[in-house]
Amino acid sequence: MHIPDGFISTGTAAVSWLASAGSVGYAVRRVNRQLGERQVPLMGVTAAFIFAAQMMNFTVAGGTSGHLLGGALAAILLGPWAGMLVLTSVLVVQALLFQDGGLVALGANVLNMAVIGVLVGWVVYTGLRRLLSDRPWATWVSGFAAAWLSVVIASLAAAVELAVSGTSPWGVALPAMGLVHMLIGIGEGLITVAVLAFLRVTRPDLLTLYQKAQGA
Amino acid sequence: MVEGQPRLLMRHSFLDRYYQSTSLVHRLDPRLKLLATLLFILVATSLPSSAWPAFLPLAALALVAIRLARIPLGEGLKRSSVALPFAAMVALSVPFTRSGQVVWQGSLLGLDLAVTSEGLLLLAAVLIKSWLSVLVSGLLVATTPFPQLLKAMRSLHLPAALTATISFMVRYLFVLVDEAMRLHTAREARSAGSGGTIGWRAKVLGGMIGSLFIRSYERSERIYLAMVSRGFAGEFHTLRPLSWQRRDSWAALLWGAVLAAIAAMGRMRF
Repeated sequence: MHIPDGFISTGTAAVSWLASAGSVGYAVRRVNRQLGERQVPLMGVTAAFIFAAQMMNFTVAGGTSGHLLGGALAAILLGPWAGMLVLTSVLVVQALLFQDGGLVALGANVLNMAVIGVLVGWVVYTGLRRLLSDRPWATWVSGFAAAWLSVVIASLAAAVELAVSGTSPWGVALPAMGLVHMLIGIGEGLITVAVLAFLRVTRPDLLTLYQKAQGA
Repeated sequence: MVEGQPRLLMRHSFLDRYYQSTSLVHRLDPRLKLLATLLFILVATSLPSSAWPAFLPLAALALVAIRLARIPLGEGLKRSSVALPFAAMVALSVPFTRSGQVVWQGSLLGLDLAVTSEGLLLLAAVLIKSWLSVLVSGLLVATTPFPQLLKAMRSLHLPAALTATISFMVRYLFVLVDEAMRLHTAREARSAGSGGTIGWRAKVLGGMIGSLFIRSYERSERIYLAMVSRGFAGEFHTLRPLSWQRRDSWAALLWGAVLAAIAAMGRMRF
């Protein structure tokens, strides 16, 4: 989903840079208010963790493989604001060091995956958790829905940017990106739920880092 | 990326292979290089696809800079393949959309398709733009050590929380990638990568990623304690501040003038 340079127009790039700069700036203020310096090594190592986790894959079918994008997972583990900074860092490093995603297009990629992807994951997860309250499967359903929607909506945002730029017509960009990511989202959902299930058995305290930081 | 090959350690020498060189490009101020790269990509992005003669001097400018930095070209060519999935989508939409001179017409699966010269021109322009952008951003990282780049970002007022997070990330990136590779190898050795149902394979991967997160979390705690015990109080200090030289001003002027001329050329009618 990383948009390279040259695929979105200057206007689209400028608007998405402004939107993501505003959101990331707000996230920085929220993170600084909460934990400050202690949060920095945690966010940095978690960003490296997301990058490494994205490289691990599992076979789906017919030579294709699923892997994690991690927006919803980062939001669930660290909360929306630290999660946003973590995903932004991942995208900056991917664009600068690995040329995965463009530099002028970085604003759009941050907006889609770090801002929209993380916020959608967070809102869906916490919303469903509250709605389903004590049911034993609440975590799994909310985790899956959060991860699936986070990927699908982020991909639709990318499709809108490509269509607005005139690179790809609406009739092609939206269904092509949407359908592909509805499938990718299933893998994302399965892995996210599996990670949450694993952590709940081994280190349940790590699932409430954000709530604890809020209380502190 | 890791499928099939039993690779224990991620190779990262490609990142810093050319840092030691002392070419003119290497010695320029990192702030200048960062802004110059962004300006180049901005000019490339904003060229209309009909302005193809302007792409020639743009490519020439990128090649001259790469020549001056004395780094091989092949690297950039290989990396530009990351644009392929998006290129496919543009290629897919070429027949449907652009109205204009029809180059090829036919029907496929009951759909009437027409490839227009305007559509092909758009595809070519998008590919050239993204390829040139990959070349110059490759040049930026090949000639600028990452800590310098971070220092440049900080002095261009990126928030400290973000640049500090990125610097920690880069520092521990390969440590964690190596751990991920070890988990991967262990799974391959037990052939859990291909057995069972999809749900089961996802569960195995979830366990691997979960334990990687626990290791990451515990590592970050150790790092923080080590920093505090060495007197960390929330500020990062560096020994060598950036210094803007006269050659940086000249390079900025020259680069800006050439790009301005190319941008103007792109707006002329051909």
